[in-house]
Amino acid sequence: MGNDNLYWVFVDLANGVLSGAMLGGYYALISVGLALNFGVMRLVNLSHGDWLIVAAYLAVTFLAATGVAPFWSLVLVVPVMYAAGYFIQRGLLNHVSVQAAERRGMSPVFGLMLPLLVTFGLSIVLSQGMLLVFSSDAATIPNELSYSAIRLSEDLSISTLRFGFFIVAALLLAGLSVWLKSTHTGRAIRAASDDPEVAALMGMRTAHVYAVASGVALASASIAGVMVGMSRSFQPFDGPPFLLMAFGVVILGGLGSIAGSFLGGIVLGIVQVLAGTYFGPAAQQVGGYLLILFMLAVRPQGLLAK
Amino acid sequence: MSTSAPEALLRVTSLAAYYGELRAIYDVSLELQPGDVLAVIGANGAGKSTLLKSLVGLMNHGERSHIRGAIEWDGKRIEQLTPDRIVAAGIALVPEGRRLFARLSVEDNLLAGAYLPRCRPAIPARLEEVYTLFPRLRERRSQVVSQMSGGEQQMVAIGRALMSSPRLIAFDELSLGLAPAMVDEIYKNLKAVIARGTTAILVEQDLNRALAACTRFCVMLEGSIVLEGRPGEVSVDAITAAYFGSAVGAARTGAVHGVARG
Repeated sequence: MGNDNLYWVFVDLANGVLSGAMLGGYYALISVGLALNFGVMRLVNLSHGDWLIVAAYLAVTFLAATGVAPFWSLVLVVPVMYAAGYFIQRGLLNHVSVQAAERRGMSPVFGLMLPLLVTFGLSIVLSQGMLLVFSSDAATIPNELSYSAIRLSEDLSISTLRFGFFIVAALLLAGLSVWLKSTHTGRAIRAASDDPEVAALMGMRTAHVYAVASGVALASASIAGVMVGMSRSFQPFDGPPFLLMAFGVVILGGLGSIAGSFLGGIVLGIVQVLAGTYFGPAAQQVGGYLLILFMLAVRPQGLLAK
Repeated sequence: MSTSAPEALLRVTSLAAYYGELRAIYDVSLELQPGDVLAVIGANGAGKSTLLKSLVGLMNHGERSHIRGAIEWDGKRIEQLTPDRIVAAGIALVPEGRRLFARLSVEDNLLAGAYLPRCRPAIPARLEEVYTLFPRLRERRSQVVSQMSGGEQQMVAIGRALMSSPRLIAFDELSLGLAPAMVDEIYKNLKAVIARGTTAILVEQDLNRALAACTRFCVMLEGSIVLEGRPGEVSVDAITAAYFGSAVGAARTGAVHGVARG
């Protein structure tokens, strides 16, 4: 009898850790764009969450028109969102950035406030725009994976969908790291992040380099947005909670670090699921945010600070 | 009209540069022939660094500074170009204070110098050249540069400028903040760089080092050129007098000479 109890304690814990870790992959992909924007150009993009929802709506619209499998929506959504990220950085954010304020000799406080205000405005424009185009009806991306699970043993299982997300997130984040580390463009992004003026002396056009970084950030957010749409129903105003969660992941993992986003996502996922398992569903969110507060108090630079 | 045989590689005419309303240099004119090594000598605040920044496009982009006058490179006007276009045209700057990409490794800093597509095919050859010139950098190629000594960082900064295969390199205050032995080593290697036929501008506060390394020099004082010549043609006393301004009499130059050495 005692052994039996111990067994179920273990099963609960193992299921919690497993599904939390899988959830973490999804969280990591939601957050990595925010981390990239901050790491490269010290941009805190308050419209990050809304872009996820924009991508989800784009996917829903595309899939309704074509009737193909959800995966194929990426063929449209990723390039469209890359382009959106590129041109918004180039046409708007480059002119109101921390660096632009420095270049113009404005006060650093103003330099920090300006992009916050502009991306906050962008967030409102995006959510109101979605309300206008798609109405407030809940939408979702129907798929059969939502209802299936992979059984690891009699009592241990993980959601097929979450497992798929975890693998995709791991591959994408690893790919992104390698790209930043070993390509000319990736090196230019890191160099322009260190010293934009000297980067220009090397022939790097920082306006373009930053725009590429923002394009990649939104492209990764678009994949995350399709995942959001596949795992739940969503409405035009669902973006901000994702922004908040992405902040949490970035704080846990270390500002601007890609490996940190992955680790932060997994830690947050596990803590949330375990809190839910032991203290009821209401504790899930609270548990996550308590962890973030604790992290800010004891190690504000995050687990893998750069 | 000057009738020097080869066409000037660089011709600066009546250049003035401003930080806001403040005029940092004015009426600067100079010419460089291929192979020249021009030392720009002067005290702090004489406008030497501003001259170099004007040449590479750093004074003309951004609301805080602008330039007037003409800069011709290889027969084409470049004073309105952005820094990336100027490095593409073949002018590289080793900036004051080195300004390396602190979070990047030695090799990543060097590779960043060869970012332009036209530089990429030559990367293996150039990298080998830099590592031959500074063997220390080969040993530390994967070290993050913020962990290196000032002298080693200066080697990376020179190497990074060489990676773009420039036809003109501008060196800004190579010896600043470095131990004398390290400065000797840097200048020894500089000779090797220049011996390849690269044209160079050398901004330096250390009069003797500058005169030993250059083929021509000019002295800047309060934003304009007050003396030009070739080393050996002009007495060190005359140069020192120009360095501190004509108000300083020849009798006092002996006393200030030590300061000029830095």
